[in-house]
Amino acid sequence: MLEIKPIFHALCRSKIGAILLLLQIAITTAIVSNAAFIIEDKVSYLSQETGYPEDEIFSFHVMLFGNDVESHQQFELDETMLRGLPNVIDAVYISNTPLSGSGSSSDFSINPAPEPGLSARTAYFFTDDHALNTLGLELASGRNFNESEVIVTDNNEQRANVTIITQTLADELFSDTDALGKTVYLGDIALKIVGIIKKAKGPWMKDSRPDNVALIPYINPNISGNFIVRTDVKQRAQLASTIEDEMLKSYDKRVIIRVRGLDEAKENYMAQDTLMMRMLIVLITILVLVTALGIFGLTLFNISKRTKQIGTRRALGARKSAIINYFLVENAMICTAGLILGVIAALLLGQLLMQHFSIAALPPSYIAGTALMVFVMSLLAVFGPAKRAANISPSIATRSI
Amino acid sequence: MLKMNNISKLYQTEMVQTHALRDFNLHVEEGEFIAVTGPSGSGKTTFLNIAGMLEPFSSGQYLLDGIDVGKLNDNQRADVRNQKIGFIFQGFNLIPDLNLYENIEVPLRYRGIKANERKRRIEQCLEQVGLASRAKHLPQQLSGGQQQRVAIARALAGKPRFLLADEPTGNLDSLMARQVMELLEQINRDGATIIMVTHDPELARRAPRNIQVVDGQLADFTLYQGAQTLKNVAGV
Ligand SMILES: Nc1ncnc2c1ncn2[C@@H]1O[C@H](COP(=O)(O)OP(=O)(O)OP(=O)(O)O)[C@@H](O)[C@H]1O
Ligand SMILES: [Mg+2]
Repeated sequence: MLEIKPIFHALCRSKIGAILLLLQIAITTAIVSNAAFIIEDKVSYLSQETGYPEDEIFSFHVMLFGNDVESHQQFELDETMLRGLPNVIDAVYISNTPLSGSGSSSDFSINPAPEPGLSARTAYFFTDDHALNTLGLELASGRNFNESEVIVTDNNEQRANVTIITQTLADELFSDTDALGKTVYLGDIALKIVGIIKKAKGPWMKDSRPDNVALIPYINPNISGNFIVRTDVKQRAQLASTIEDEMLKSYDKRVIIRVRGLDEAKENYMAQDTLMMRMLIVLITILVLVTALGIFGLTLFNISKRTKQIGTRRALGARKSAIINYFLVENAMICTAGLILGVIAALLLGQLLMQHFSIAALPPSYIAGTALMVFVMSLLAVFGPAKRAANISPSIATRSI
Repeated sequence: MLKMNNISKLYQTEMVQTHALRDFNLHVEEGEFIAVTGPSGSGKTTFLNIAGMLEPFSSGQYLLDGIDVGKLNDNQRADVRNQKIGFIFQGFNLIPDLNLYENIEVPLRYRGIKANERKRRIEQCLEQVGLASRAKHLPQQLSGGQQQRVAIARALAGKPRFLLADEPTGNLDSLMARQVMELLEQINRDGATIIMVTHDPELARRAPRNIQVVDGQLADFTLYQGAQTLKNVAGV
């Protein structure tokens, strides 16, 4: 039997504890729903497909200090040496490592500069015809570079004239025609599109266009270069540990740094986001626990304050279940008021975050889910103390003055 | 209507065992008004609590209206308390956060009585105890005597056939005490059976039947009792 009206009146007459609890529930709901949304956003960002077999690939950086070799020629030799090593599937020189957070980008346009025309922000890699195989990328259409299209030079006047781009970039620049065979312009350099990659990420997962990527068959290194090697998952660690020796064996006036797996490079780049996500998870866990404890404690306090009243109610004919119901209903009422306030606060907080931190709008499902969770949790927190209250002996009514 | 045969109550604490009641025997007929007296600690409250099913007894048999109380479960005892028994406490035991109306409503809600019937009964009971104009007041806004009258109204609202009062005037001055006593006598005339524990010999004398509890047992009072009962019957 529910006694909503008298419980409500009784609450109104001693409301400080109830109001504190109500505010706590409101704050919890507002923060948890927003934090949960941000966490979910981060999780889907952190776990998105990159298009690369990350655990089969590692990269390293080479810096030459001897001046008895030409770097572009040495790197050609290195590529050949690397490909010949046991267990190596393929290896390639590439201007930067994908997913690593460092790279080059520019606007690719459908018209040569300075003519105006549709353009799209694009990350590009200088590499050669082994890049597709080494990075494990699949073509949607077209073909790989020919050996003859790959320019290896130290002459800045020489230029590449073909490119392979991702489907996403193709769709952005040529939304209603087939991009294959068309020409795009990097500044005034014309590049004919010979192949289209299904999917690949550039150096920056957080970029506004993380999927706009172009490969250009052009190797014109300075004194430093970057290599990636693809091998078997099981062989990778072993191979990476010997790579320095192998490189120095063929030419030793140089240093090899940053030998690391592609997944490691990605994790490094995402470390801040991972940390933030973990902190948010800890925050909302603590918040929910504190709220649950608050409800638990307040109910215990209310019970000890009302021992005589509970005994009297029992004497007047309340069954144990009626006492339990009393506390559940009382809590549900505080909780409902807190949730109404909390939903409003969650919406306001969501708007604030949207304005100041460019976070997407908080979907109502997150608020509803959080509210339901808080409600169930508060009933669970109150149930134990309420059962204890129901076990208060009715003889308290005559035994305590 | 109330029969206690060889009721014993043993309180067991870490240090001591207390025989609060020992082979306690008592028969109470419908419509009686009984005053219970006795020294402090003799077991009066224990007796009243057992009579009102507020606590279990250790051995013996207790029949209320022919129901064997020892065989009832907790819910059934709560229901019997709610339907047959009205309680009046020394400390009034009004619920501080509820106004007078809501206080009297408490046992009626437990019985599941409809709102308009509750309203009718509450107003009638408040009228009877002379506090009809105070329905919206909180207990703390009333004097002790007024609070006890509200508590009596609460006990009456369920129309119990059996009223148990533990020192109902213990916290009141003698004028207030007499008013409360008059109210109880009125209720008794209307048909309720009343058992009242009191330390006040003057009030006890006003009750048609007196029993004395000494050391957990009824003092031998048979002759006196018989005389009282006769007087009582003659007086009706
Ligand atoms: N919960 C309990 N645990 C242990 N002993 C108890 C308990 N309640 C009562 N007693 C003991 O039982 C005995 C009878 O107590 P009871 O309260 O019935 O006396 P009383 O006649 O009502 O006394 P008073 O006139 O002072 O109210 C006392 O010795 C008391 O100490
Ligand atoms: Mg007593």
